Amino acid sequence: MHHIYCPYCEEIREEEEYSYTGEAHIERPKDPASISDEVWGDYMFFRSNPRGIHHEMWYHAAGCRRYFNATRDTHSYQIHETYKMGELPTVTAPTKAAPTKAAAQGDAS
Amino acid sequence: MTSLSANLSAEDMMESSLHHHAVHTNATDAGVVMKEDKFRGHVNLRGNPQDTAFMVAVESVLGVALPTRANTSVRNGDTVVYWLCPNEWLLIVASGTQGQLEADLRSAMDGQHIAITDISSAQTLVNLSGSGLAELLQKSTVYDCHESNFPAGKVVQTTFAKTGTTMCKLEDGSMDFVIRRSFSDYFFLWLQDASEEYGLRVA
Amino acid sequence: MSQVNRIATGGRIDRSKPMSFTFNGKTFQGFDGDTLASAMLANGVGIVGRSFKYSRARGILGHGAEEPNALMQLHKGNETIPNPRATQVELFDGLISSSTNGWPSVEFDLMEWVGKIGGKMMPPGFYYKTFMAPQNMWMTYEKFIRKAAGFGKLSLDPDPDTYDKVNVHCDVMVVGAGPAGLAAALEAGRSGKRVIIVDEQNEFGGTLLASNQTVDGVEAATWAEQATSELARMSNVTSMPRTTAFGYYDHNFLCALERRTDHLGPVALTGTRQRLHRIRAHQVVLATGAIERPLVFGNNDLPGIMLANSVSTYIIRYAVVPGQRCVVMTTNDSGYQTALDIQAAGRTVVAVVDSRHAPDGRLVQAAKAAGIEVMAGHGVIEAQGSKRVTDVIVAPLDEAGDKLVGAGKTLSCDLVAVAGGWSPVVHLSCHTGSRPVWQEDVAGFVPGPTIQNQHLAGAIAGEYRLSQALNAGVQAGANAAGTQSTQVFDCGDESEGAAQALYIVPHTKPSSRAPKQFVDLQNDVTAAGIELAAREGFQSIEHVKRYTAMGFGTDQGKTGNVNGMAIVAKTLNKTIAETGTTIFRPAYTPVTFGAMGGRDIGVLLDPARHTAMHPWHLANGAEFENVGQWKRPWYFPQAGETMQQTLNRECLAVRNSVGMLDASTLGKIDIQGKDAREFLNRVYTNAWTKLAPGKCRYGLMLKEDGMIFDDGVTACLSDTHFLMTTTSGGAAAVLGWLELWHQTEWPELEVYFTSVTDQWATCSFAGPNSRKVLEKLCTDVDLSAQAMKFMDYREGTVAGIKSRIFRISFTGELSFEVNVPADQGHYMWKKLMEAGEEFGITPYGTESMHVLRAEKGFIIAGQDTDGSMTPYDCLMGWAVGKTKEFSFLGERSFSRPDTARTDRKQLVGLKPKDPTVVIPEGSQIVMDPNQPIPMDMMGHVTSSYWSECLGHGIAMGTVKGGSDRMGQTVYFPQADGRVLAAEICSPVFYDPKGDHHND
Repeated sequence: MHHIYCPYCEEIREEEEYSYTGEAHIERPKDPASISDEVWGDYMFFRSNPRGIHHEMWYHAAGCRRYFNATRDTHSYQIHETYKMGELPTVTAPTKAAPTKAAAQGDAS
Repeated sequence: MTSLSANLSAEDMMESSLHHHAVHTNATDAGVVMKEDKFRGHVNLRGNPQDTAFMVAVESVLGVALPTRANTSVRNGDTVVYWLCPNEWLLIVASGTQGQLEADLRSAMDGQHIAITDISSAQTLVNLSGSGLAELLQKSTVYDCHESNFPAGKVVQTTFAKTGTTMCKLEDGSMDFVIRRSFSDYFFLWLQDASEEYGLRVA
Repeated sequence: MSQVNRIATGGRIDRSKPMSFTFNGKTFQGFDGDTLASAMLANGVGIVGRSFKYSRARGILGHGAEEPNALMQLHKGNETIPNPRATQVELFDGLISSSTNGWPSVEFDLMEWVGKIGGKMMPPGFYYKTFMAPQNMWMTYEKFIRKAAGFGKLSLDPDPDTYDKVNVHCDVMVVGAGPAGLAAALEAGRSGKRVIIVDEQNEFGGTLLASNQTVDGVEAATWAEQATSELARMSNVTSMPRTTAFGYYDHNFLCALERRTDHLGPVALTGTRQRLHRIRAHQVVLATGAIERPLVFGNNDLPGIMLANSVSTYIIRYAVVPGQRCVVMTTNDSGYQTALDIQAAGRTVVAVVDSRHAPDGRLVQAAKAAGIEVMAGHGVIEAQGSKRVTDVIVAPLDEAGDKLVGAGKTLSCDLVAVAGGWSPVVHLSCHTGSRPVWQEDVAGFVPGPTIQNQHLAGAIAGEYRLSQALNAGVQAGANAAGTQSTQVFDCGDESEGAAQALYIVPHTKPSSRAPKQFVDLQNDVTAAGIELAAREGFQSIEHVKRYTAMGFGTDQGKTGNVNGMAIVAKTLNKTIAETGTTIFRPAYTPVTFGAMGGRDIGVLLDPARHTAMHPWHLANGAEFENVGQWKRPWYFPQAGETMQQTLNRECLAVRNSVGMLDASTLGKIDIQGKDAREFLNRVYTNAWTKLAPGKCRYGLMLKEDGMIFDDGVTACLSDTHFLMTTTSGGAAAVLGWLELWHQTEWPELEVYFTSVTDQWATCSFAGPNSRKVLEKLCTDVDLSAQAMKFMDYREGTVAGIKSRIFRISFTGELSFEVNVPADQGHYMWKKLMEAGEEFGITPYGTESMHVLRAEKGFIIAGQDTDGSMTPYDCLMGWAVGKTKEFSFLGERSFSRPDTARTDRKQLVGLKPKDPTVVIPEGSQIVMDPNQPIPMDMMGHVTSSYWSECLGHGIAMGTVKGGSDRMGQTVYFPQADGRVLAAEICSPVFYDPKGDHHND
């Protein structure tokens, strides 16, 4: 059972207040009509699924009903940080660059 | 079918979601006492706390500033304001005044990006007190309600058994719970079961 | 009546409170303070069960959670409890117990003969090898195996007990109330922190209760009592005996089972029998101690062979000596303490057999001084006896303990106390994913690195001496509480000789031919079996575990694992550190399902949500249907009606006059803000830019893959205010979906969403007379067809209540929905029923609603769609905006090759060829019923009903390329051999032009 800090409620709360809602920093392509099926398919279906550092979204369903991001180790389940929507992580996997808006959009364009 | 008289007051037409449980009473030395504060005005307010105009306008209507610290509440007479999230508050006001409150707020904040929603019928306010309260809460919610973590005035939205609640600690150590209407029967069944060993009185 | 093995004085038992109990039908006496095991041993009971695979006679090995053999069946009838260990069952007067296996009795077991003959037939992997083929014989094998093997039995009747769960929080959680745990809890408790300390036994103290040592000059047990009462006096400390912390989960979350009344009788007379504590701790101190290891030698499973530490515990704590003539087999100094305890109890110590060549510690000297014979450099290589050990063969070993270096000698005895070293109880530390590490100097696995806020104290960390454990407890308590302490305990136990790391005692024959040398007694795993597994190529310890079953089940390898790993390592020519260990899983000891369920049973299993009108539905005989968590009226039967008759009556009332449905359960979301329209444009398939205030529109909501996930009608209350409805089951998901897009992608849109599902009670009344009903109660809205058109919305007063009135229809008839604040919903419903009385207004439920909407071909998202249907698949292209500026959610996917195929399954109407037939929902659709199996599946029936109004069955279904197959005949082969047929048609069976709802 995870114990997760909600950056909006500013408290650690029990996992059962939250729902996991998938990988973070997946940005919707700005102009879906102009991109290839393959790029659209990547956006919809492909996720990184790493062993280790993972940036992911959680929804504080039974609390403040805000979505936020967490940097969590998928192996140890250690949560390194949680941060608000629109913010970038400070903890990232050693080999990969931090996700940026530009990078997410780059995939899509 | 019972025939209903034509000239009823608004109150006569109303039925709290816990109305049919009000008849249950129990020993006077009950460890848990439940008291419904029914038909209060419940208004959900959304707005940007960084916007001074919004904060000033709300304060001018409520007579008290919106709480901006997470998990806190403010009180002003019959009015209680719960912080729900950085841009959301629950205003609980005297029964029947919610319509006027909404109108006053709208006129004070004309043109601003806000939302005001009357949810008085969507939920009810229940107070629980008694010597069995602490253990009852341990059975019912995952949140740590110990005084060291839950001082008077604190507001927490969390789970209550298999439903949700917004709860607030009062100065006298009792707790107010906001319960959704459709879950009221479940809430009461749970309460009745969980308080069996302490005794339950419905005040 | 005679307790042959009971010592006259001493022990933590109350001789003034005798208690009688039965075991396998025989009555015995014990005392208050006994465990079932100590009472059995006091009465000289030897055989307590039969082994799992070989059906060998087994006696009590240990005194606590490590016991592999003495699994009991307690109590009778629906009170029965399978598999508690006798060593953990507190005795009470009238306790009924029996062995969990052994047929016809544990004393004479038929299966033992099968085991003896078949021993060679049952190597590890026996089940895999033997029962895999032929596969169709498995059922036969299974019956045989189930009868022969397995342990206790459950009652099939309802459990008479109650169980519950609590959520608790603390600063410091201490697991184990032995010396280390007590010291830690005292230190943390004195700091004022919120502390919880749990121990599985009935009283705190652990090994202190069975020790002859002193703590700072105070007798160990007395010190434990003083510590326990100091903790009890601290209001910030919760002390819980009889509570097993059985699981340690992520982020310092632990589960502990408190046995509240098990020690009083079979059933809790008041309150709950067991309580599950879900504990969130800031800091955790694990002081779980260590379990003594047995040694592996021939016939080491015979009754009368016990752990040395357990023998001492029975003597000191329970005043029971479980034998007359004892041989102690040891690899370390602690065996000598047992020898001294046995001698002090007045029984004979035949010899202490010590694998070490020159033992010289404090306790060794004491034993020698007491005249006890010490056979250094020797080992017990084999025990002999049939129902109990009668002799052991002792032979000289080389320095390493690897080889025999001389001839054996037989010693006569009826008790063998085995001290093979200690295994730290690392189970809990493993649960969070931490892998134990081998520590050579303690000859055991200790907890490995962890990310939990975890502290170790005492024997779990290999700190086996009492003073070490206490001092480590103080430091762990201080660290956990964030304090400092310089307290040091003195127990006079500094001089202890080094232990020898020995696991298996060599025999004159190789393991494969020596008498069985058991490693895991509960799962009947032998040294020969493990060696065979290694030779067969199982090199990973995890594979060896699964192949041999070592460490499985309720035992979780408590006594056997390390010995097994040592054998694997030796066979593979590796060190134990290289071989590694398997990790242990929750639960440490078994947990009742009752405790896991707690009070979430019966009506509390899942919340039932009720509408404001629920009391009326109850009073008027509604049958209910579960829709999500809602209880919705399904139909309102009248006396003597079949369900179909009710539906026919309800549907005809709507078609011919007026009927009323409680539609309060529909999800309702209040949307406010100047960008509300734009937001709707983005999440719905159709256009919202031009919807005027006072108008409603139906919308389809898609996921990004283009598939329908919800639908509903949204009303425009003002340019900046909309009311969205969702399906009853989809409300929370839709609100979460809207918030997701707003919060993550489009925060710049000025819009807020608030759930108002519970705020509004909805009376939906439909039928040609519905306007007349409403006109009677509503005077301030012009309800005429010209003034209030189909899909219009008005605010008005109905029966004196400010209401929201919608002219929308899910039935195809003229229809209104009146929404009022739910507090007034019950009143409004009654007023409408009263007003409709002259028209025969008929309440109807969800089933008639389904029929009525199916007659009109309206879909139900989630019934006719399944997450793989686009609007086009549902022939609802009319609901998709083609020229919207923003690429709404899901639009881009319409042009993906798979979504754009024209031969996708499409939702069509199905008119049965035989009008009296109602095709079963879910029926598969084929084009050619005579095609050999496997047939080409074309789709399936999603909705199907009897339409009383039309006089024939109607159905909807998905059919490959269905929209191009209008008029074609499809078939529905049934499980009973019938083949039904229908014609593909438009799904709109009733009033295709929509004249009725436009009236």
